[in-house]
This record gives sequence, C-alpha cells and structure tokens, in this order.
Amino acid sequence: MNAPMTPFAKPWIANPDGYRVPYEVFTDQVYYDQEQEHIFRGETWSFVGLDAELPNNGDFKSTAIGDTPVIVTRDQNGQLHVFKNLCMHRGALLVRESRGNAKSFDCVYHQWSFDLTGVLRGVPMRRGVRGEGGMPPAFDMANFGLDALRVEVMNGLIFASFSKTVEPLADYLGEGIVANIQRIFNRPIRIMGDYRQYIHGNWKLYAENVRDPYHGSLLHLFHSTFGLYRATQKGFTYMDPSNRHSLLKATASAAPTSASEDQEVYKDVRSYNTEFHLKDASILVGRPEFDDRASLVINAIFPNLLIQQIANCLAVRQSVTHASNAFEIVWTLFGYADDDEEMQMIRMKQSNLVGPAGLISMEDGEAIEIVQDAVIRDGKKTSVLAMGGVHSGSVDHMITEGPIIGFWENYARYLNLGADLKK
Amino acid sequence: MSQTITAAHSAAIDALHTAYLAALDKGDMAAWASTFAADNARYFCISAENDHRGLPLALMYDDCRGRIDDRVSFVTKVWVGTYEPYRTRHFIQRLSCEAAGNNQYRLTSGFTIMMSAEGGTTAVLTSGEYRDLIEIQGDGDKFRAVFRERRAVYDADVLPRYIVFPF
Repeated sequence: MNAPMTPFAKPWIANPDGYRVPYEVFTDQVYYDQEQEHIFRGETWSFVGLDAELPNNGDFKSTAIGDTPVIVTRDQNGQLHVFKNLCMHRGALLVRESRGNAKSFDCVYHQWSFDLTGVLRGVPMRRGVRGEGGMPPAFDMANFGLDALRVEVMNGLIFASFSKTVEPLADYLGEGIVANIQRIFNRPIRIMGDYRQYIHGNWKLYAENVRDPYHGSLLHLFHSTFGLYRATQKGFTYMDPSNRHSLLKATASAAPTSASEDQEVYKDVRSYNTEFHLKDASILVGRPEFDDRASLVINAIFPNLLIQQIANCLAVRQSVTHASNAFEIVWTLFGYADDDEEMQMIRMKQSNLVGPAGLISMEDGEAIEIVQDAVIRDGKKTSVLAMGGVHSGSVDHMITEGPIIGFWENYARYLNLGADLKK
Repeated sequence: MSQTITAAHSAAIDALHTAYLAALDKGDMAAWASTFAADNARYFCISAENDHRGLPLALMYDDCRGRIDDRVSFVTKVWVGTYEPYRTRHFIQRLSCEAAGNNQYRLTSGFTIMMSAEGGTTAVLTSGEYRDLIEIQGDGDKFRAVFRERRAVYDADVLPRYIVFPF
C-alpha cells in the first residue's frame, strides 16, 4: 500500500501583510475529492434551478451538484423533488435529456421505472419469464426508491442538500442574503434563456472572482470606460454572519465626484479612456427598478450560486464542477413576468454585458485560466489576499478582498484543514 | 420556393459570404461590420438550446447598426489585452435560398468554426446554422449583397471557452 497522502500538512497563514492560500487547492485531486464529499455533498445547500424552469407538473431538468448528476422534477401534485440521477438497479444515468416533461423516469438499461416522487413502480421480468428467473422473494420494490435530496424553495430559487443535518435554508443564508433574494425575486419572473460556458480552471477561482469587488473596474474596462461601475463609486461589501456568502453592492450612480479624482484613481490603468463613446448608447439606458437604486449587486452564495443585478440585467449563475481544472458556468437570465415590451428590450440589450461573450464577463474566463495555467507546478506557493486589510466580514466600501478570505475560512472549516488557520 | 435566383445575384451572395468569413478569419472586425447594410442591420448569435426552447437570450444581441459598430470597438479597443489571442477558420455550405422580394433573399447555411489558440492546438469551436436576410443593393453592373440580418445559431450546448469574436 502506498504511503498515505498528507495534502493538508501545510498550514495556511494569515499574517498582518496578507492571507495566503496555497495554489495546490486549485490543482490537487485530493482537494477536489474532499470538496465533493464535504462541501457539495456535505453540510451545504446548493442551487439547482428556478421553479420557473419547471412550470408544469411532470417537468424535469438534469443538472449537477459539484459533479454529482441530479434530476430536478415537479411531480403530478406540483411538488418539487431533487434526486440523484442514478438508477437504483445498476447505476445508469436515469435521465439523459437536459430538460423535458415525463410521467415517469424509465431507465433505458433494464427499464426499471420510477414515478416522479422517486418511488420504484416497475421492474420488467420481476416474476420471471415462463416461470424462469425473476427477482427473489426478498426483493422489495419499496427499498429501491431514488436517492432523494432535501429540497427547499425560496422565492422561486430551488436549493437541494445531500445533508440530513444542515440547518434550514433561511438560517444557512442568513437574514441579509435572504433579504437580497426577496429584493430581486419579489414577483414572478420570466426566463430569457441560458448561457453555458466551460472554463479550463478550478471552480474556486471563480468563487474568488465573484467575491472580489476590487477587480471589477480594473479587469473589466467596459465598466470604468462607460461608467457602469467605478472604484470611486459608493458601495459596500456585506457578508453573512458565517462569512460564507457575500453581497457586493454599488449604490447610487457611477459618475465620478470629479474628473481629477477619477484620473487619479485610474492613472495606472492600462487603457482607461473617458473619451470613448458608444454609437448606440441605448445599451446603458436602463430603468431604475429597485427602491435602493443600486446599480450593481453581486451576491455569492456558498458553494455554487451567484445572483446578479447589473443595471437591469438580472441573472443567476450556477457553477458545475468537472475536474480540478475544469468547471462550467450555467447562466440563466430573467426579467419579470409583468415587464412591458420596452423593459424586455432593455434587458435584451443589457444581456450583452454578461455571459461567455459578455462585455463585463468575458475577461473573467481568461483571468481564471491564466491563474490555472501558471500555478500548475507551484502548489506550495501561495496567493496573497491583503486588499482592505486581512480580514473577512462586512465593510462599507468595495476595495477589499475580505469576502475571498471569508470563502477560504469556510473552505478550511468544511475540509477540516486544521486550527492553524485561525489567526 | 418563389422566384429563382439569378446567377449574378447568387454570385453576389457568395461574395458576401466569402467576405464575411475572410474578415473573421483575419480578425478584421471593421471588415466584418462592413458586410452589414450601412443604414439598418442586425446581428444575433444565439444558442440552439435557447432557439429550440423559443427563448430570446442571445450570446451577442446587436439589434441595430450602431451596436454592430460598437462591437467592433469592444473587440479592438475596450477588450484589447484582456483575452488570449485566437484565430479562427470558418467553413460554410448553403442549405437553402429563397427570394423574399425587394431584392432580398432568405438563406440558411451550415457553418463550422475551427479555433487555434496561441501556443495551442486547433479544435472545433462550434458548428451551427446561419439564418440570413440578404439584400442586393445597387443596379446595373454595380451591385453588392449585404446582410440586413444575420442570425448565427450555434450548436454547442456548452461553449468550450469564452468568446471574443462573432460567429
């Protein structure tokens, strides 16, 4: 037998000059496997879809929590269920379509048939053929229902958990995050469609990216060029009491208080250009629709969800892991069922901002891949998270890496990486 | 099928397709934009998944000529230095062509886009279908075909990477 691996021997360090995370967390299969068991299949709630995706009884979609395939379905009584997408007979994928409507789930292999509540209803040749074969008397179909996950729905967002002991969803999210969900999902939505993008990097690099308000105006030059978001803008960074989730919110307008301040802040930025004008500026013409008039809200929910409001562009982004160096983002953009035609058009134009080719999101894919490519053989080297002080927790500005530290503190807790992490 | 297409119009349409592919394969965004009608044109790039579901969301939604020009600026000015350079080769074959009146034709074509990232191998980016509204402009011996609308419906459910250039 091989010597046991000791991947977690190196303590992570939080010094006054920075919180340091070893790059091996992005490359080492051991971390990936531990995450699947202790995060995605552990004491967490994962986002699996919107109930508006499954409007009718019998509707289903297939997705994944981490890399575990699951089925989300609405049964004949309208109840939502989430099951492992795994036949209880010999382990085949039960559902291969992305979405559809069904009366039952029938495995293609030996045609075991499950109803939409997960109960095994049919086993062909159970009593044999012409008196030969058949299942033994001890075989009880009641023992072979689909593996069901816990399900909670909040304002149309469907969450599922493999854990029998995780706290209720509202407690898991905390009041501030629940308030943002209620703010955005305040009435019935209309789904505009999905984007799906493969990223050749580790999923946690994206978890960092969406908890990093300070990259926004530096990486995404569209933001600062056209005034959607500037570092000089007032905002705040909220974290729930557990520091798992974060809410980055830019309030009021992105207009600089003065041109000279703007030039000072961006003097080192590579191609920031206040002189550049759009031929058709209607992409930037939105309509205030929230009482707080926030122009940018990025709400990361541990472990796999992001809820965004960028001007009038509303979306959820779900991370699906494939390997330590590969994950997928599923973006679902939506408006409200009562949007008038003009509002639908505003949202369509602004959809250009996000997605795999989005004006302020294309570069995130690149940022993740260039980290993954660079650290491949430098697992013991570390990043340094220091902007805004070396701490997680809420602050009344957005020039911080605090939410990323909060993510890693929780990551270490879930993977039981040891007390060395505590400052 | 309504009226048949003249050889001259067919040649103009072929020339338009060639100009479009050549522009993108050279990474020449201004040349890409110039294949569209100068006054009123639209470009949409949408997944087959959304198209099939009857959902409007597009990867690129350029609903007016101004936004087509702005996309040129995004790629050549705003995004400069942020994306990994990659080259493409586009291949198409015409699937159908129907006269739509007023010197306009509706065409569908299958497309394949090969992608070569700098320092990498060549791979399929995606395949798909162009659905076009093409107009023949000018008369006599001097006319050219332009896109009033090009809708690129791509096949990949999951795009293999982020996207900079139009399909």
